[in-house]
Parts: sequence; C-alpha cells; structure tokens
Amino acid sequence: MAKTLFEAVNVEVRRGMGVVLSNHHVELNQGDIMVLEGPNGSGKSTLIEAVARLLPLEKGHISHAGTSVVDHEGRRKTSPINVTLVLQKNGLLGCERVQEHLNLAMKMTGSTVDTATFLEAFSLTHRANDNVSHLSQGQARKVAVLSALLPAFASSEPCLVLMDEPDAGLDDRSMNSLCEWISELHHLGHGLLISTHDERIKSLATVRHHLPDGTTDIVEKGDREPRTTSDRPSTPHAKITPGQFGWNMQWRTLAWLNQNAMAALLTLGILLSMGDLSDNLSEMQQLGFILAPALAAGLCGDAMVAMCREERAGSWWYCVSTGTPHSGMLPFVLGGAITLLSSLAFTDDLVAETAVIGALLTGIVAHLLRFAQQSTERLARPQAVFIGLLTPVLILPYALLLDLLTR
Amino acid sequence: MKMKVGEVLLLFGFTGVATTMMLAFLWAPSVSINAFEEPAAQRIFYWHVPSAWAAFIAFGALFVGSAGWMFKRSELMWRIHIAGSEAGLATGLMTVWSGCVWGAAEWGTPWDWSDVRLNTFGLLTLLAIYLVLGRSSQPDGVETRDTFAAFGLYGFILVPFTYVATRIWSIRHPGPVIGTNDGGSLNADMGLILLIGTLSFTLLIFGHMLTSMRITAFEQRIEALQIQLDGGK
Repeated sequence: MAKTLFEAVNVEVRRGMGVVLSNHHVELNQGDIMVLEGPNGSGKSTLIEAVARLLPLEKGHISHAGTSVVDHEGRRKTSPINVTLVLQKNGLLGCERVQEHLNLAMKMTGSTVDTATFLEAFSLTHRANDNVSHLSQGQARKVAVLSALLPAFASSEPCLVLMDEPDAGLDDRSMNSLCEWISELHHLGHGLLISTHDERIKSLATVRHHLPDGTTDIVEKGDREPRTTSDRPSTPHAKITPGQFGWNMQWRTLAWLNQNAMAALLTLGILLSMGDLSDNLSEMQQLGFILAPALAAGLCGDAMVAMCREERAGSWWYCVSTGTPHSGMLPFVLGGAITLLSSLAFTDDLVAETAVIGALLTGIVAHLLRFAQQSTERLARPQAVFIGLLTPVLILPYALLLDLLTR
Repeated sequence: MKMKVGEVLLLFGFTGVATTMMLAFLWAPSVSINAFEEPAAQRIFYWHVPSAWAAFIAFGALFVGSAGWMFKRSELMWRIHIAGSEAGLATGLMTVWSGCVWGAAEWGTPWDWSDVRLNTFGLLTLLAIYLVLGRSSQPDGVETRDTFAAFGLYGFILVPFTYVATRIWSIRHPGPVIGTNDGGSLNADMGLILLIGTLSFTLLIFGHMLTSMRITAFEQRIEALQIQLDGGK
C-alpha cells in the first residue's frame, strides 16, 4: 500500500487579514503527482508553503509520513522524510555557486547523484562553477528547480517534492526535460505537489486538487504502480548543517568583516583616540574599555540573517534542513580575537582569560540578536522593523558582568 | 458633535493634570534642604510619579491586549494592544524625561546605567517605541499582529521587575511611593496633590486609550471598505 507522504487535516491559514485556506483537507501518497489548480489568489502557494512548514496554522495540523510537523498551537517538528522545495522565489544566495548549491541540496538527503546530465539538459554545464548572482533570471530558476528535483533522484527513500510554479521562465527544451524528470520521480515512488498553470505539467497529474473549493479528482492512468529502483547511481555524503553553511558563506563574502569586525575596530579606535587612560581608570572601567569592542561586534548581530532574506533563502533552508543558516562559532572567534587586540592596546598584555570572556560576550550577544531578528522574519517587511531599539536591554547585563568580574 | 467617553475622560484628565501642576508649583510644601541636593527640583515628582503610574496601567493594557490577540484572536484585544503601546510610549517618555531632569539636578547626571529601575523603565519605553514604529512600518495582517503581540507579552516581564527593582536592588532611585504602606515620608498636603495627580493621570490614560481604540476601529473600517472596493473578500 502506498505510504501517505503528507496530510493536511482541517487546516486554516490566514495571510494578511484574509483567510486563504479554510477547513482544508488534502493528502498525498507516494508515487502521486498532485497538481494544484485554481486562479491567482486561490491559495495554491499558501498550501505549498503550509505543507513546507513555513506558515503558521490557525486551525488543524499537517503531518509528514504520519508525524505531525506543524499544528495550530504552534508546535513544529523537523520532517521525518526528505522534503525538497522550490518556491516562487528561488531560495538561492547570490554568493553560492551553481554546482555547490546543487550538491548542498542533495546532501540534505545524505547522498548525491551525478549532475552532468541534468546541467546539460538545462544548458547550465558552462555555468556550473559560476556564482548564482552571475546567472540570468531564467538560469537561476533552473538551478532552483534542479535543487528540488536532484535530492529526490539521490534519495533512496520516498521524498516529498514541493514545487511552486516550477515552469516560470523556463524555455521549451527545459520544459520537456522537466516533464520527463517529474514523470521519472513519479515512477520512482516520490510524491510531488506542484502548483502550475502549464498544461504540459497538468497532463502529468495523477491527482488534481482544485482551489479554493478543495475538491480532488483522481486521474486514471495505467502506470500507477511505482517502480522502486533508480538507474542513477548515488553516493553517500554527510549532511551539511546550517551552521557549517553560514560559516562558509561568511568567509566567502567577508560579511563579518564589514558588519561585526568594523564596528569593533571603530569602537577600539575611538576609545584609543581618547589618549592613554590606563592610569586614570578603575579596574572595572579598564575592563569595560577592553571588552567594549567585543560588545560592539556582538551588537551588530549575525550577517547571515540579512543574507538569507535574499530570494527567501532562509525559508528554503528552514524547509529542507534543520534550521536557517547562521554564523555558528564565527562570532566567538571574532570576539576572542578582537579582545586580544583590545587588551594589547590598553594594557600591553595578552590575557587569555579576558579573551575567553570577550569571545563569549560577542558570541552570546550576536546569537541573541539573531534570535530577535529571526523572530520578525514572518513580517511582510522584516528589514523595516526597529530591532535595534531593543539592544539597550544588553547594557545592564554588561555593566553587571563587569561588576562581577572586578569585584 | 457629541463627545465620546474617551474624549470626556481626556478633558477631565488634562484639567486634573493642569490642576496638579499648579498645586505642585504654588501650594505644595517645600522639602527639607538637608535631605535633597536640589529641593526645588523635587516638585517634578508630582508629574513623574503619576505618569509612571499611568505608564504601568498602559503596559498592563498592552499585556492584556497582546494576550487577548494571541489566544482569542479578538479584534477588540488588538485595539487594546495598539492603545496600550501608544499610551505606554507617551507616558513612558513623560516619566523618563522628567526623571532625567530630576536626576540631572539631584544626582548631577541624568542617567545611571547601573541603576536597575532606570534601565528597566527605559527599556519598557524603548519597547513601546519599537512596537509603535515597528507596527507602522508593516501592513496590517495576522503575521504583523502575532509578531508584535509576542513582543508585547515578553516585554511585560519588565513591568513587575521594574516595580520591585527599587525594593530588591536600590542603587540611586528612591523606593516606591504608590502601592506601599510606608507613606510616612509624605506629609498630608503632598499626599493630597499626589492623589489628585494620580487620579488625573489615570483618567488621562484611560481617555487616551479609549480614543486610540476608537481611531483604530475607524482605520479598520476604512481598510475593510478599501478591500471591498478592490473586489476582495
């Protein structure tokens, strides 16, 4: 019997002030291609994003392979099955390379397949080592579509493939390849949920789900029995975590230098420009001066948060991985290094203990800021909120820390 | 045009506040020159304490509104959230500003980063600014309401902390005046003016919140009509 890959039970989803899905029930089995049909604004993208755990539910719950992954009380769990996704936005960072992103997407399933034939079919072979930011809109769309399809080809277990208008911007040749691959994944036993207005993709449907009324038609086809083996050899690979990815991107873009390190260096420079204060300061004031650059570095937050707003890359990561990319240990390393520098500048001495405190200060403050920034990611304009107004909450703990350390 | 309850309360509140200020400057007894560095500056206390009291009422309303929206999805509660944050911002600024003036005169510095009461109250005011400015930067919607209601709920932790801060950790800020049995340091005339001020600010803040809720209700009606004109549901 075919396994149910996802089930949305009596789901209600609101966007803005409107109810987009109300008391909605739908399920998808492995080996099914479910095409969502309906006019613009009928809730197709909303359903895909709800199934991808990207939207909160007002009522009901959504389960993946029998495990509830999101419910109306706000409980969320990581999906027990491999989920792949292409949103209307591409979910790519401009600083990622094409081949790198595809490998990354496949590694989420624990294995990879050779990408040469896929890149060739999409005329992307010559772009494999280019940054995504160098691609045309159509080429970037192809990379986004491949990052939803390739993990399913690499996975030995049934995958849930979520695609929101994958045909947007694709040429005829690419559309033919896309339809072949969708058909192949169906035969391999994966489940596909696709929102589209394209008749070629619609003709592949085994199930048609109509929105906004929520009715479902089963399309009779002769080849519904799923095949279980793939002729594409896969290679096992370790999964990459959001922290590892964030670390890599930070070093590639040097965003930490622009954001955190510059704030720390400027603070240090301003304090030093006041002259030699070491004789006139109490022990607590001196420690406050030494640690101030580390605090300033932390107060700038995590550059990955802003980076992940590009093309909804953070949403893509949240769906296919265990969380959104972050800078991981980088703020701790930066805090330690800047405190050593600051200690040297103020006291002509390198104190390891102070460097550890500086590392913890920058790391903890930067990650607290990240949590605060990420808490506004649901908003229509997350970049427009005034999260910096809340950062003075950290001044008093900083003063108390200095008091404690010099008591 | 007939006046609504909110506007009547605002009128009485403003009159009461003006009376309080007049009594504070012309009738209130002077404090001992031995107990204060700048005894004349102490008169700002008749503005500072009632406005802090009104701020706690406003932040209480913010908490109730935030919780009501989060758990009941009530439009009325969202209006209370908005009214609470706006009133909290107004009274928070009144309190912080008057405190800074007194601090500058009495302590020689308008702000002390190591004083718990000052910092927690300052943070409450920053939270109110964050909520008011943040909400105005976003289109209205369930996402906006959920996010800011969550901040309103978490921020309320600061309210009881601020209130008890001077009891458990008094550095510079004087201890509480309202809500204690220890009113011995105030003489009867001072207490009377403080009572008039507290009642006036209470009327003012309720009037402010009721008026704000009415304005929000009008905005929501306009928004609904615009959506109808756009052909939406």
